[in-house]
Amino acid sequence: MILLESNNYIIQTTLAEKLVKPSSLDVQFVDFDGVRFHLSTPERKTCLLLSMSIKCWDELVKYGVDNVLRREYGDRLQAAAEPEYNVSLELDLEKFPPAGEEREALVRSISLLKRNALAAPFELAFETQKQLAAGGSGQGDLLALHYRDEEAIYVQASSDRVTVIFSTVFREETDRIFGKVFLQEFVDARRLSTIQSAPQVLYTTRDPPLELRHLPNLAQSEDVGYVTFILFPRHFANPSVAESTISHIQNFRDYLHYHIKCSKAYMHSRMRHRVSEFQKVLNRAKTEVAVVDRKTVSGRSLVR
Amino acid sequence: MSNVLRPYLAAVRSTLTAALTLQDFSSQIVERHNKPEVEVGGSKEVLLQPMTISRNENERVLIEASVNSIRLSIKIKQADEIERILCHKFTRFMMQRAESFIVLRRKPVKGYDISFLITNNHTDTMLKHKIVDFIIQFMEEVDKEISEMKLSLNARARVVAESYLQAFNS
Amino acid sequence: MSLLAPIICDNGTGFSKVGYAGNSDPSFVFPTAIATRGPASQATRSGPAVPSKPGHLASKRGVEDLDFFIGDEALANAKTPGYGINYPIRHGQIENWDYMERYWEQTIFKYLRAEPEDHYFLLTEPPLNPPENREQTAEIFFESFNIKGLYIAVQAVLALAASWTSSRVNDRTLTGTVIDSGDGVTHVIPCAEGYVIGSAIKHIPIAGRDITQFVLNLMRERGEMVNVPPEEHLKVAGKVKENYSYVCQDIVKEFRKYDAEPYKYFERYEDEYSVTGKNYSVDVGYERFLAPEIFFNPEIYSSDFLTPLPEIVDGVIQQSPIDVRRGLYKNIVLSGGSTMFQHFGQRLKRDLKQIVDRRLVDNALASGTQVKSSGVEVEVISHKRQRYAVWFGGSLLASLPEFYSSCHTKAQYDEVGPSICRRYQIFGSAT
Repeated sequence: MILLESNNYIIQTTLAEKLVKPSSLDVQFVDFDGVRFHLSTPERKTCLLLSMSIKCWDELVKYGVDNVLRREYGDRLQAAAEPEYNVSLELDLEKFPPAGEEREALVRSISLLKRNALAAPFELAFETQKQLAAGGSGQGDLLALHYRDEEAIYVQASSDRVTVIFSTVFREETDRIFGKVFLQEFVDARRLSTIQSAPQVLYTTRDPPLELRHLPNLAQSEDVGYVTFILFPRHFANPSVAESTISHIQNFRDYLHYHIKCSKAYMHSRMRHRVSEFQKVLNRAKTEVAVVDRKTVSGRSLVR
Repeated sequence: MSNVLRPYLAAVRSTLTAALTLQDFSSQIVERHNKPEVEVGGSKEVLLQPMTISRNENERVLIEASVNSIRLSIKIKQADEIERILCHKFTRFMMQRAESFIVLRRKPVKGYDISFLITNNHTDTMLKHKIVDFIIQFMEEVDKEISEMKLSLNARARVVAESYLQAFNS
Repeated sequence: MSLLAPIICDNGTGFSKVGYAGNSDPSFVFPTAIATRGPASQATRSGPAVPSKPGHLASKRGVEDLDFFIGDEALANAKTPGYGINYPIRHGQIENWDYMERYWEQTIFKYLRAEPEDHYFLLTEPPLNPPENREQTAEIFFESFNIKGLYIAVQAVLALAASWTSSRVNDRTLTGTVIDSGDGVTHVIPCAEGYVIGSAIKHIPIAGRDITQFVLNLMRERGEMVNVPPEEHLKVAGKVKENYSYVCQDIVKEFRKYDAEPYKYFERYEDEYSVTGKNYSVDVGYERFLAPEIFFNPEIYSSDFLTPLPEIVDGVIQQSPIDVRRGLYKNIVLSGGSTMFQHFGQRLKRDLKQIVDRRLVDNALASGTQVKSSGVEVEVISHKRQRYAVWFGGSLLASLPEFYSSCHTKAQYDEVGPSICRRYQIFGSAT
């Protein structure tokens, strides 16, 4: 598994299971970046309530998340969210399409709830870019999204591009160094002919990129880094391409961290292997201790 | 093995072989104690002059000998941040398993990355030249392992970055 | 972000139960299996594949270790050429750490979709797990995954905690005898105030797999299996065991009942053959009550293991220190899928009570005293969460506020090292 999926596996499997055999349910679970879900059957077994709490909801509202979700989920979107959560969907299993492709598509779209909510600022920026391109020049607003405690995504549209900036913080020394190696490769990888058309990636530590300089209270320290993706219209002109770009770029942080952890796991297995090799070398040094069977006077073996 | 490395390892090998002349020696200070003198350091007369064999400023070996034990500490080459962290990880991983590496010390001597403590018990139960072989092989391979790990990290990073960026094309 | 629920991971020999604390059921239950590239057999000693020299940019070499499947997907891919299946846990203990590390990696990132840095973890271990294994586990979780905090609990203790939900338990004690019967083996484990009495543990080589086999034998003997396709035999036997079996109070009476009114007691099992789509059906008879009977009369199935379960439980308790025996008799807790048979608890209680009472009478006779014993209370607790009792107990304990203070955090680990995980504080009991 190299790439991470965008949809939530628990939602998908639970829904599929409940569609076959409805039963009462009350589970809480999470997704990357501190997103919490609550799936329950408050009234009857066939009517599920899926609620989501997401850290940067207030910012998302500003960027028109309501419209995006309304478009995706229509009437299923509840006017008032469950307390402690930001958004709720009512899923009446009896109103689901019959088993088949249509139903699977719906289940999948529900499992993409987090992705769709986070898509709002990107869609807004892509829209702004189209308007600016028609005007010929200018810059859109900087859309900030504080999706984690210490990290944020910034999206800004200008007349010929959309810039996406991730601020990254590594909590641990090893992660920081591994992260640096990985990010450097992201910058360098574009030289390859096969991925010339991929977005350009820039990586800076400490100093925030120009777009962010004016922002107050940016953390300034050794371990803060900024990763900039420059998306050109070819990445989002076509709606289906835009959709996959959005899903993909959202996963950037999790993807990076997933692979840092995988590399550490890989290092561990290498080290385990190497250590067992050394062990063998050392064991060769041991001399065989000859076991002498000592006898007592009566002829039995002496056991001490 | 590069030609530069060979004289260095040869020096370590002959020094270590010479130093590994250990005998049983009870403590002169506490009755019925028999401790590695190099660790206790209580009686000066049984300690020998410590010796450093240095290849360059980043790679050196410290051999501290005494009547019943010797302590050998290695400083491993660390060219940059990545090698430093990998070396740290590797030595810690090994020391975590010191139980099965009878001659390995659980903590390195200050200023070095990894230390071995060989006592007269070890030379009694194990073949002396094989212990020396083990140390030399360790020194040879640890550098190789760390640079291989670094290469594989870079290779991985590249594959990971490429796969991510490639997905934008589709 | 301590708001995020801790993750409970119960990795057993056969199945792994993983999910978030606070829920009543694990989010995922799948086989502890991993399918990797390369044959399964040479796995343990060959070590990881060393990546080829960098430079072949186009090739995806260097990340072979990401090419694997776990759980149900592993079983599904086991037949794919090039993949081999491995079971990293043997007899409850982790055998292959490389596979286990990757197994956890995918569990967390693919299935749970959690950023391990934001979560506390509760893991389980079998009784008598060497402390080195705890250290290795801690090393993986803290160093590879940078988790926030870790608690490693003994499975038996969690099973005791799970019984607190039963209405018959009114004090939250961690003293009791756990009968944990899974697929491979059955353990009887005495616990005193949260600590396992290691010297008294007993293993019984009869568990779920054997019951299924026994059902299959019975049905074959009666000739029921003739119209069932051979490859479905084991599945049918398993279904019959799960859906129709119960524990009777007296075999002889039960046989008589069945012979008198076969139509009332015989059940019919129907299924469809997955290959041809043809329907078939079998009659389910005496195996309904004979299947779980092998716990109480093992001689009907096995010829080398002959001690009935109640006797073993009694023996285990008698081997424990005298001052906790009363507590152990009073709180016998069932856990695991193979204890789910109807009336299993009642039967065990009755048989055990008989053994205990007989001993009291014998004692009184032998010592010749006139003083009468006040008797020993025997209670067997079965509850709704029995099947995943260990996981559920973990979920329960991890929802308590004390959980966070009993965990070892990343900072503590960095300070002390893996040896910190040799000791864990017991918490949660009311006494």
